Amino acid sequence: MRKISLSAGYTCYGCRSVGPKGLWGYHAVRSCSAPALPAGRITARQAADLWERHFAERGVTEPDHSSHYILAYLLGAKTIESLEQGKLTEFLSPEKTEQMWKLCSKRLSRMPVQYVIEEWDFRDLTLKMKPPVFIPRPETEELVELVLTDLQMKPGTEVGTQETCLEVGCGSGAISLSLLKSWPQLKAIAVDQSQDAVDLTGENALRLGLQDRLQIHHLDVMKDAETVLSLCSSVSVLVSNPPYLFSEDMTALEPEVYRFEDHAALDGGNDGLEVIKHILTLAPQILSDHGRVYLEVDPRHPPLIQQWVEVNVEEMHYVETRHDISGRPRFCILRKEKSNKDHKLDLD
Amino acid sequence: MAFRRAIHLLPRGKDCVYSLCIPCLHTSPNAISQTVRFPQHHCGRTTRTLHTGTPLMVAKILSVDELFSKKSLQEYLKKTEAEYNECLRAANSGVPEEQSSEDTLMSKRTKVSLLAPLIQSIRELDAKQREMAETEALLKDEDPALRELAELESEGCLQEIQDIRQEILNLLIPEEEADLSDLVLEVTAGVGGQEAMLFTNEVFHMYQGYAYHHGWSFDILEYMTNDLGGVRSALASISGSQSYKRMKFEGGVHRVQRVPKTEKHGRMHTSTMTVAILPQPTEISFTINSKDLKIETKRASGAGGQHVNTTDSAVRIVHLPTGVVAECQQERSQIKNKEKAMKALRAKLYSIKLEEETSKRYNQRKIQIGTKGRSEKIRTYHFPQDRITDHRIGLTVHDMKNFLLGEDLLEEMNSSLQEFSNQETLEELLGENNQQGS
Repeated sequence: MRKISLSAGYTCYGCRSVGPKGLWGYHAVRSCSAPALPAGRITARQAADLWERHFAERGVTEPDHSSHYILAYLLGAKTIESLEQGKLTEFLSPEKTEQMWKLCSKRLSRMPVQYVIEEWDFRDLTLKMKPPVFIPRPETEELVELVLTDLQMKPGTEVGTQETCLEVGCGSGAISLSLLKSWPQLKAIAVDQSQDAVDLTGENALRLGLQDRLQIHHLDVMKDAETVLSLCSSVSVLVSNPPYLFSEDMTALEPEVYRFEDHAALDGGNDGLEVIKHILTLAPQILSDHGRVYLEVDPRHPPLIQQWVEVNVEEMHYVETRHDISGRPRFCILRKEKSNKDHKLDLD
Repeated sequence: MAFRRAIHLLPRGKDCVYSLCIPCLHTSPNAISQTVRFPQHHCGRTTRTLHTGTPLMVAKILSVDELFSKKSLQEYLKKTEAEYNECLRAANSGVPEEQSSEDTLMSKRTKVSLLAPLIQSIRELDAKQREMAETEALLKDEDPALRELAELESEGCLQEIQDIRQEILNLLIPEEEADLSDLVLEVTAGVGGQEAMLFTNEVFHMYQGYAYHHGWSFDILEYMTNDLGGVRSALASISGSQSYKRMKFEGGVHRVQRVPKTEKHGRMHTSTMTVAILPQPTEISFTINSKDLKIETKRASGAGGQHVNTTDSAVRIVHLPTGVVAECQQERSQIKNKEKAMKALRAKLYSIKLEEETSKRYNQRKIQIGTKGRSEKIRTYHFPQDRITDHRIGLTVHDMKNFLLGEDLLEEMNSSLQEFSNQETLEELLGENNQQGS
């Protein structure tokens, strides 16, 4: 019974094109590049091993993790390590086998695992992922941690005080939604220049039931500065993981990033500071007094930002640089200081 | 010394229930138990089940009555009451004459308030026992109606006496520092190769079942498998009411005897695995200097950030001064893996610290609180005979399948261990340790 349906599935599969269509039609996988569906039953472990080898042969990065995450996803777990013991030695159903082949073939085209399984975790949230919306990186989890720690330390943030946060370039919504989830008194405004990102943030907010405290706007801070200012004033936290790659580095990116993710979320111009400078210029008008800016940046950026702000944005005070888990200078914290101006006048 | 410790911990004594009042725990047909239940106003509580009749039991778990018939206990209670009265008199006598006696007065006042619940129970017990004596006289009365009434009354009285005695015992047993904490469970395969690893996995899941049975959370921190479905080692964080207290007797070497699935000649193998129960310290009670930590991730090399999209979110943390390592790859989120690895690391480091502090204190006991380094064989799982024997108290139960579910049978085993341990504590308290030869 099983064998028949499997071979039927195989025949059917042979004449189907599995590659992602449309946008990446150019990179679509031809089904012949994937290993043939097994004729008999195979266990979950065998399927994972087979694809791991195949990925490795084809030069796909993280061959082991790719095949493991896809398999775990199909079996209803997040990681192969958290999979119920024994599942690996069980036979895969013909349907699951076919799905495994379909998803792994996508990965073979270098599509990131997060897009292949259409979801990923960010802190304690599981978010839907959709190309070409930027996939949140682990460093950004630490950015959220910085904001949350400061919110906790801040005096007078007991129940009742309403804090508002603005996120520039929300992508999948990871930062805003994490903050809203962990800080029940917080309201957030999220903006992005990409309609795909705005839609995905909205979808994720709805899934997590956080839509009531989140406003999402489709706008570009580079062009619609006035709209941004009209939407937000007296914001206490401005957080952003802006595009910060140097344009010249773009071509050196792995295919997973270069081919599949929105370049507008990555490319920060010649010095990687284009969007950052823009955000910092607007910051004094957006923030309340002592309001803070939290930025994720390239490790080369912090000293450049500090210098630039001191010269160009009077009301912003550079507070500190924080390092990521691997010890790279990764985050910049700045504060709005109204008294800054008066202070300077006094000095003159 | 032991006495002072008891006093110190008395206010928490109420939480220290010996055998938890959970009904239906003792419904298993495998233990012969004598459950006495009285319908009066105590119907909300289940009486303690006493395993006195179980023939396979070697260690002596004494009943409440047996404990109370001990002269030493009676003397101890009398002594405590006398001390209480003395302190109370001193505390009430008013103004201290010199500076030094002010401290004494303070300590006496503290003692009074600490001892109050115990003294109250002792007095209640006295009153009830007098009442009982009066009722007993009526039992011999000639009027049958009066006799019947007296019988009813004495039944109620007996039950109350039993309850108060239990209460007194609870107040006497000191609570351990770690009793209120959550814990990290560590299982490690011992001798026996693949078979030991398979058994390690079964035991790990038995505790998972035990946690669910109690409504505790069971969060896997580390799970090192081999290709054949065995587990080299695994760590899980368990939290919930009384979790450490109920799990702490599980630490030690567990031995399995059976014919492994992989055995071709039908020979029986003996393999072992080790369980360690590590109390999970709170952030406040145990701090680790972040400068002592080396955190390793796959993103450590290269540019990181937006430059790369890696999915390997495993985190490994090394505590440099001790070389203790914890790692986690259970989660897709790197920060979650880091949190879990930190949790495991904290528990590992804390248990090393506790081990140093407490090893002296517990050396004399049959029931060791299981943390690292306990090499004592505590239990045998004998599959052909379908029995599980705990060597510390000589208790045997049957029905392996049921036991490995981690539900009623394991709970029953645990209650006996708890009772026996409490008894040992009590004996220590009463200074009987040396006379305990047999």
